[in-house]
Amino acid sequence: MNEFVMALGWVGIYGPMALGAIGSVIGCSLAGQAAIGAMIETESGHGRYVGISAMPSSQVIYGIVVMFTLNRTVTPEAAAGMFGIGLLCGLALMFSAIYQGRSCAAAINAAKAKPEIFGLSLAPAAIVEGFAVFAFVFALVLSADLPGVK
Amino acid sequence: MSRDAYITLITSLPYAGELFAVSQTPISRIQLEARLSFLTPEDATRLQAIEGLLWWSSHSHETSDAEIVMETKRLLAELKNEWLRQLIRQRMEFRTLVAALRRRRRGEPAPDLHTDWGFGRWVGVIHRNWSEPGFSLERAFPWVLEANRLLREEDHLGLERLLLGEQWRTLDQQGEGHYFDFEAVVAYVLKWGIMDRWSSYHGEGAVRRFENVLDDSVGEYAQMFV
Repeated sequence: MNEFVMALGWVGIYGPMALGAIGSVIGCSLAGQAAIGAMIETESGHGRYVGISAMPSSQVIYGIVVMFTLNRTVTPEAAAGMFGIGLLCGLALMFSAIYQGRSCAAAINAAKAKPEIFGLSLAPAAIVEGFAVFAFVFALVLSADLPGVK
Repeated sequence: MSRDAYITLITSLPYAGELFAVSQTPISRIQLEARLSFLTPEDATRLQAIEGLLWWSSHSHETSDAEIVMETKRLLAELKNEWLRQLIRQRMEFRTLVAALRRRRRGEPAPDLHTDWGFGRWVGVIHRNWSEPGFSLERAFPWVLEANRLLREEDHLGLERLLLGEQWRTLDQQGEGHYFDFEAVVAYVLKWGIMDRWSSYHGEGAVRRFENVLDDSVGEYAQMFV
């Protein structure tokens, strides 16, 4: 039983990074496809479309930071907490990256038609980013209370 | 084709804008066809079938009403997507109502219910209320009385404007919630068709074309009347 709990602890350590990476892969791909489409249609502003499409990459960075924060000697006492925080934070980061990618794709599509709303069209993506930051910050706060901090 | 694969295609299409504010389509047919090459062969075939059914220009003058109704039923049976089926049903019902208005304007009696002259839920209602100005369908089609008036006054451009505007509005409504999917592509292409039709109405061009046709027809006999 202890081995299983310990394994969950390791899942908790690597989970935020892996799930954040999966989310960023999908999110950047979605927004990147929109950027490519917009580049076919427009004559200028290509750089900013590519820039927007990179927005969902922040989640993997948050995941890496959480991974290092949770990285400690896995003990039966700490493993369950590490699993809970790591997995749930990873899921939050993954979904936020995917949906931020969709928001970015919509923003690119809208900004292509109406360049004057470029800044405002990014607001939904920024709000989604805010929720990812919540998940990230509170994962750091809670991980400080887990036993076995290095 | 996965849902996300439509993102590149949709974002590569220019903004459709407002129907009556444009003097030409935002993208030429050749360019549109090039962008639509992103579609899988299956989606391209589906789109072609829908466009072929819903645009008059794709039917020959010899195509009978019954053949179009049969084609509609065949396509509806083939399509699994409920949104597309609903789109086709609504457009064919719209066309049935416009056809009824035109038939009545020509002084024809109510069509025989046993013939496939129209499609959809309202064929029987139209038949029963043939003498009513709006076939008692004002609630379902609030524009029908206005269309009847324009037809009576022979304001053909006004009627066309009303009908195209209604089709555009319906596509806008149906397209809500569809941003990066096949439904959005279909809505865009159908809107493009409406814009193409509206932008092709050009008064001076029509007069010029009429004169050219007249000159060609009269030809060498033109001198006879000088």
